[in-house]
Amino acid sequence: MSSKPEGLESSNISCNDAPAMSSETVQRPPPPEKPAAILTRTKVIAAFWAVIIFLGFPIWWQTTSIHRARLPIQEMVNWASGKTCRPVFPLEIQFATPSLPVSDAQHLLRTTQHTLDDLNEFSAHHLRLKLLESSNIESNSPDGLRSITEDNADTVLSVRLIAQEDLTAPRSVLHSETTQLDVFYPPSQVPVPSSSNSPLSAFIAEELQRLFGEEKATIAHVLSNNNGADHQPAAVLNSLPPQIAETINKRERRSMKYAETYHLAFSLFTPGSAPSSWDIEAAIQEYLTPLLQAFSPISNFTVDTQVQLYAMFSPMTPQPEYDESQAAWTLKKEDLSAFINAAEWPLSPSIGSGPTINFILYVPAPSQSPMVVKENHATSWIIPQWGGVFLLNAPLSTSQPSNPSHLSKESLQSAFLTFSHQLLTLMGTPATPTSLPLRLQTLIRIRAASLLLSASSTMGSLARLTKSLPSIPIPASVATSVSTTLSHLSSACDQLREGRFAAALASARVAETEAERSFFEKSMVGQVYFPDEHKVAVYLPLLGPIGVPLAVGLLKELKRIIAGWKSRRSSP
Amino acid sequence: MTVLFFFLSLLSLVCASLSSPSAPSDYHERLDLQPLPQSSLLASFNFRSNTSQESFEQRHFRYFPRALGQILQHAHTKELHLRFTTGRWDAESWGPRPWNGSKEGGTGVELWAWIDAVDDERAFAKWITLTQSLSGLFCASMNFVDSTRTTRPVVSFDPAEDHSPASSLHLLHGTLPGEVVCTENLTPFLKLLPCKGKAGISSLFDGHKLFDASWQSMSVDVRPICPEQGECLVQIEQTVDMVLDIDRSKRPRDNPIPRPVPNDQLACDASKPYHSDDTCYPLENTLEKGWSLAEVFGRSLNGVCPLTEGNPETVCLRVPNERRVDIPPEVTETRQADGYTRCFALHPSTPFDLSIPEQEVHSQVPLKERSLHAERTIVGHGQERGGMRIIFNNPSETSPVEFIYFETLPWFLRPFVHTLQATITGHDGVRRQVPSSQIVKETFYRPAIDRKRGTQLELTLSVPAASTVTLTYDFEKAILRYTEYPPDANRGFNVAPAVIRLNPQDNESSPIYIRTTSLLLPLPTPDFSMPYNVIILTSTVIALAFGNIFNLLVRRFVSKEEAAALMAQTLKGRLLGKIVALRDRIRGKTSKTE
Repeated sequence: MSSKPEGLESSNISCNDAPAMSSETVQRPPPPEKPAAILTRTKVIAAFWAVIIFLGFPIWWQTTSIHRARLPIQEMVNWASGKTCRPVFPLEIQFATPSLPVSDAQHLLRTTQHTLDDLNEFSAHHLRLKLLESSNIESNSPDGLRSITEDNADTVLSVRLIAQEDLTAPRSVLHSETTQLDVFYPPSQVPVPSSSNSPLSAFIAEELQRLFGEEKATIAHVLSNNNGADHQPAAVLNSLPPQIAETINKRERRSMKYAETYHLAFSLFTPGSAPSSWDIEAAIQEYLTPLLQAFSPISNFTVDTQVQLYAMFSPMTPQPEYDESQAAWTLKKEDLSAFINAAEWPLSPSIGSGPTINFILYVPAPSQSPMVVKENHATSWIIPQWGGVFLLNAPLSTSQPSNPSHLSKESLQSAFLTFSHQLLTLMGTPATPTSLPLRLQTLIRIRAASLLLSASSTMGSLARLTKSLPSIPIPASVATSVSTTLSHLSSACDQLREGRFAAALASARVAETEAERSFFEKSMVGQVYFPDEHKVAVYLPLLGPIGVPLAVGLLKELKRIIAGWKSRRSSP
Repeated sequence: MTVLFFFLSLLSLVCASLSSPSAPSDYHERLDLQPLPQSSLLASFNFRSNTSQESFEQRHFRYFPRALGQILQHAHTKELHLRFTTGRWDAESWGPRPWNGSKEGGTGVELWAWIDAVDDERAFAKWITLTQSLSGLFCASMNFVDSTRTTRPVVSFDPAEDHSPASSLHLLHGTLPGEVVCTENLTPFLKLLPCKGKAGISSLFDGHKLFDASWQSMSVDVRPICPEQGECLVQIEQTVDMVLDIDRSKRPRDNPIPRPVPNDQLACDASKPYHSDDTCYPLENTLEKGWSLAEVFGRSLNGVCPLTEGNPETVCLRVPNERRVDIPPEVTETRQADGYTRCFALHPSTPFDLSIPEQEVHSQVPLKERSLHAERTIVGHGQERGGMRIIFNNPSETSPVEFIYFETLPWFLRPFVHTLQATITGHDGVRRQVPSSQIVKETFYRPAIDRKRGTQLELTLSVPAASTVTLTYDFEKAILRYTEYPPDANRGFNVAPAVIRLNPQDNESSPIYIRTTSLLLPLPTPDFSMPYNVIILTSTVIALAFGNIFNLLVRRFVSKEEAAALMAQTLKGRLLGKIVALRDRIRGKTSKTE
């Protein structure tokens, strides 16, 4: 408070001076303030608060708010909970019946379809039989993988009915190189138009059911992992024999996460200095390239190889032991996980997007050869989601125990056949049926389903994340990614319904990539984090001294107004 | 007979030094040992392997390391040179540098590469990819080589001759003078070798000894090579050069503290008048110190890397021929005609150790005359300005020396090129100011852009015979932003060493490289608690001003008496009154009893 009174109060001083000096006990309160002064004070305080509320607060709000792009939260949650899309897998099977009249063939198909529908308890995965017009039998390519067109559904399997006189019961032959099933039947078993059932249609239905049994179980497994509203897949799974469910589970745990490109790294490791070279180019060309080409609709592969000498075991791992009874050096099964010396062996992942699958050809030292796994004499094993190992016990030269300095293509054959098998397993290919194209097609459907579900659940997680963390920014790129994901998800879902699985896989792949991109957007995670306490502590020297007089002034003014208001109400 | 032997040995030397072998993929390694004055030992390791261009592009790696090959392909790098260096080469006592300086870098990390790209921008993007990947591979902070530390030298470096003519190559050069090279860089370096430090000369590497050296330099060079006939190759050459202090290296690892020589082993000059039990004038030791590989490197050489083809002589020693050298009996020794070099053909599987016993020295291996001596320092005082002084000394009495001087300066050091001045000091010691154009034949200067790129200065200089040229220029130190200072800002900022390239004279084919030491530039450094102080001080001032103005506006002014009267009505006033009354009562009571 100023020590020098002036202005309005100055006139009071002169008359109060003398009595105050004469006696300390006599005190007179100042006269009541003029209404003009009170009004001025009210206006001043109101002005200050107006500046704070209408200027300071909006500026603070504007400068400290974070940009949050609008996301279709409800739609994302619906995708995650499976309300938007229920994936269905209508498999189209073409029938070629060169030796039957069309009407008979149609009747046979109808009855078979009936039997199939009765057998099938999993409506999401069903088989649709279609009669191939006899005119375009010849033009149809037997290889289902190649016959992918924009408009038509993919043909999963072509069945060719062939009459054979000397048969008592129908039998079927699945071509292992194509997607064709030949059914030989005795002509007597063709169903007459009046009957609703026949041994031939029952046989065909059963055969088809068996062919797609594992696929159905796998898809049911994939769908049941999604915590959707649909309980049917879980029911299907429960009805399966436990060992099949276990196999599917195991395969899924082993297989790599789906990617557009995989890098295959083949490494020759040996603890000594030999062998130091291998016929790798020829071996890959002969044993692996055909398989990789068959995979090309699903994923691409790059291949690189290396030779690493003096690759010792890690000192931590238990060393192989000599087993007299087997006359071999043995590795215990539980120690296989420590076989790879990750610290010293140069197994760095390849550069570029996509995971690396490592295949290791290990040639044991002559002093430790032959080397096998103790429990089952195996020489190869899979490391889940990482790669495979093959122990190549090279033939030792007799005069002096040493490894050959060069591995020929022939000596690599068993190793590369094992690697191909391991690759199939790591990619998650089902074990049945025997036809590789059919298995790869099944893989397309499984991958499409799992990508669809994983992208949907990523959307759900993103929606939950943005709801639970209101302080993170959401850049516009995330919103774009989300809308791309959602549109591709719905197109994938439609394509699945129409039976165009390769196209569905492509859409689901885009959806998954975009979903991951939006979820892992870097700018959503603040690089610099200033907790609110920190800011308050820094600005307290400003906020405290300014805030306290302002608040007290406002309180006093309010009190006065309320008091005046009360007195006015009570007085009249 | 001697002539024939001489001719043959010369031929084998030529064959060994030729870098274009016949086999599509092969591997060579070689260790050269040379005792240097002041009980030092230069050990120079060289590993070289080739792979055919075709298998390199198809990613079938045999001797070429896969990790590095992938990086090079990913970054479209056609030629790569990477250097890790610590310490200082003492040119005064050790003479010219090994490999003519072409396999060493400036202190810290130096990297230059030719990248195939359409334009500069894409080349730079690839360069960033390259540095990031190499940073991961070699556990070095090469990811800090950003645009401010990257230059594009014009005349200082030449690409290999055998690049495919179709590629448009961009040379980029980056340095990290502050990088501390240590064992974590050696381990990945060893992993690139086919024999992994388990066999052959690489089995001598021990991080403790290597980084305890007075000077050491590791290099990785990848370049394409197209022989006259046959397919093109990709060659990787790795070298490690180090100068070990023999006394220091011989100390056992568990007891590395130097101890004084016991009294009875001191060689004293007894002729001095003050010689007594406790006073000693030490005599100069005329004996050369004895050493062996196992003592100096802490381990013995583990046979031969079995991949080595051709010449089995992998270890060579340069001492005068009359010097006694003890080697294991199964090792064959070949002496070369120059009278100084002897090479050893090692037994493939038995460990090898060579020892030189302590002996009287009559002759030394003559060191070649240095062709140029260069020195660079920062002069001046104060926080704002400074100057650079570079001294070139041409020791030759007859011929002038011509060379290229290349330096990169960080952007916060702003040189004034117009202040570039040259002074010549002849043998007479008289300093003469000369116009710099007389010394500087050509200049390539690319000025810095703040926070974008550094200064690049390339000068073609000529120093007359038997004279010293001093170049000076002034610079200004920039003030950095608060967040641009490193945690150890008061240490100073590293300025990368300058690279000097002596153009090949008629009889030499490869240029000689010399690097100056790196410099420390002290910059004006703020007090880093300053922002908080500023915030708090301004807040306080604003709060004071605001409080006064606000109170002036809203308070009512009354006289002191009125204030007292007002006070009496408030709670505080009443409380105060009661306390006063209480006090008076107590006072009154006490006064009554008195």
